[in-house]
Amino acid sequence: MSNSEHTSKQFDADLEDIRSRVLQMGGLVEAQLMAAIEGFSSGGEAVIDQVLTAEPRVNSYEKEIDDAIVHVVARRQPAASDLRLIMGVSKIVTDLERIGDEAEKIARMARQIYARGALTIPRSIDVRQTGNKAAMMLRRVLDAMARLDAGEAEKIIAEDKLIDTEFRGIMRQLITYMMEDPRTITTALDIVWIAKAIERVGDHAKNIAEQVIYIVHGTDVRHTAAPPAALQGNA
Amino acid sequence: MIPVWFSLTLKFMSIAVVAVCVGLWQGAAAGWAAACAGLGLLHAVHVNHLSRMERWLINPSADTLPDPSGTWGLVFAGVYRALRLEARKRDAVDRELELFTQAAQALPDGIVMLDSGDQLLWCNETAAKHLGLNPSTDYGLRITNIVRVARLAAFLQSAKRDDILDYRPAHNPGQTLSLEVIPFSDGRKLLVSFDITLIERADTTRRDFIANVSHELRTPLTVIHGFLEHMTDAPVQPAEQARRHIGMMVQQSNRMLKLVDDLLMLSRLEGGDAPQREERVDVYAMAHMLVEDARALSAGRHTIEMAVAPDACITGSAEELRSAFGNLVSNAVRYTPTTLPPGRITLAWRTNEKGGALFSVTDTGIGIAAEHIPRLTERFYRVDRGRSRETGGTGLGLAIVKHVLLRHQATLEIQSEPGAGCEFRIVFPPWRSVTDVSAPVAADAA
Repeated sequence: MSNSEHTSKQFDADLEDIRSRVLQMGGLVEAQLMAAIEGFSSGGEAVIDQVLTAEPRVNSYEKEIDDAIVHVVARRQPAASDLRLIMGVSKIVTDLERIGDEAEKIARMARQIYARGALTIPRSIDVRQTGNKAAMMLRRVLDAMARLDAGEAEKIIAEDKLIDTEFRGIMRQLITYMMEDPRTITTALDIVWIAKAIERVGDHAKNIAEQVIYIVHGTDVRHTAAPPAALQGNA
Repeated sequence: MIPVWFSLTLKFMSIAVVAVCVGLWQGAAAGWAAACAGLGLLHAVHVNHLSRMERWLINPSADTLPDPSGTWGLVFAGVYRALRLEARKRDAVDRELELFTQAAQALPDGIVMLDSGDQLLWCNETAAKHLGLNPSTDYGLRITNIVRVARLAAFLQSAKRDDILDYRPAHNPGQTLSLEVIPFSDGRKLLVSFDITLIERADTTRRDFIANVSHELRTPLTVIHGFLEHMTDAPVQPAEQARRHIGMMVQQSNRMLKLVDDLLMLSRLEGGDAPQREERVDVYAMAHMLVEDARALSAGRHTIEMAVAPDACITGSAEELRSAFGNLVSNAVRYTPTTLPPGRITLAWRTNEKGGALFSVTDTGIGIAAEHIPRLTERFYRVDRGRSRETGGTGLGLAIVKHVLLRHQATLEIQSEPGAGCEFRIVFPPWRSVTDVSAPVAADAA
């Protein structure tokens, strides 16, 4: 990794700088997601605005990091672990940007729900808990990225299933809710969107975890039911 | 002690003397041969010792120290002494360093040492807990990679002395940290973290309290002010109306008086400056008076009973206990409906299984939902705002009870079910039941 010395100190500095910026972007997206969930449970205008105003900054992070990646590839022709870091990071950035979009979606829906003046929000506690779980997952995957901890990344991949299960549970309950009282359908549909966005955040976090494993071990664990046996020894 | 140079010269000279003797006796060739043999032998001895020294120096210790006699013994001993001195110095430095590390660990504040690139050099356990760092894996990583807050990165870049950053860690909701950066040698930085959660909470409590007090005082004042203004605008009023208005103003000013009294009582109890009076309190007489007061307050709308033995007494401050008991009784009167059948309120005094005295007030009133019970003794906490004020409560009664009980090492137990009434129990520690008969009897300080 960037810990091993290169002849050119500048190269090391460039790689470390990219990694740092990705993690900074991750921190921003994480804060955005937490604010979005908070906005959903409290309806506070200030937090919702916070989510929406962070969006352009996330986008500019994405562009800057992509630019830095192209520069490093063009100037240094990285190989081996450096190449894996660059490739992994460029995919992680995309996932992070999408998480930012999902957070924005949650915030917009929350504003819509509260603007409508819905008195009761069905399953709001469940949705908030699942949302916090997804935010926790994102935080842990960013930690794993900072520490290059493939073992932790594997655990996170396994946890995504939990969020998927919870999402299906919320869906079922919402359907019962809508059948009992058709007046709640509008609000319930908005909540379906929010729950879906949270479920997507979990998926993106899982993708990032897969890239962390790729960066550390060079094994591609995407689209496999279980991590390959070669990896299980390492973790 | 023979100096090294002398002993070596002596050996050399004796070889030379022997060689000359042999030369004189057997001829020059034999003499040279003897000289060569002698020098060779001497050389072999030195080579042997040198290689032992070399082997020993790889892992020098007292156990394996060769102990040849003579000149080489001196050399070995000298080298060993120098090494031991060095080791002792290093141990002292190590101990000192360990001491400093332990001192830094023991600090109640978090300390993080960063190099010029903001990479983590060292942190104590408090800092690890505060910032979510892991000392076993994170040394050498940039701190902004672990603590991913955009404000922190900017803060580390531009912070001057005495700049402070408030930070709420996401991994530990509810905690508030205050971060400070102190630059030291060559662009390195110390990041110090203080836990200000409690300070912040105390601040919020104080702000809430002031807001509540102002609000509580303002409400009756608004009523009085309104009537006064009305009187200024229309000085001549029918006598009947004026009397009614004045009556309401008296009622409101009474409420303000009671609130201020309660506040003063509370601040006196909290301040704890005045030493607590310990006297023998005649609970029977006190309960009797409380029942009288309660009957007056209830105006015959409740059945009020008393189950207190005539010899019931306790050690404590009569005035404070009267206030605490009185608050419980007046609460019971105010929260028990007067519709038929009339509510029943019972004052009782008994001894629990641990031998402590127990004062209880039981009513058949509206009861309290479980989620409110833990917060009842908070100042100005109200289950039902409207009801409490219309019945003349200040919102401070149970807070006063709590503080009085604290001063008497007693506890308050509340048992209730909504709609089924409730029981407030004051449980005293057993030693308070042992009353000194010679102490003055204070039935009622008021």
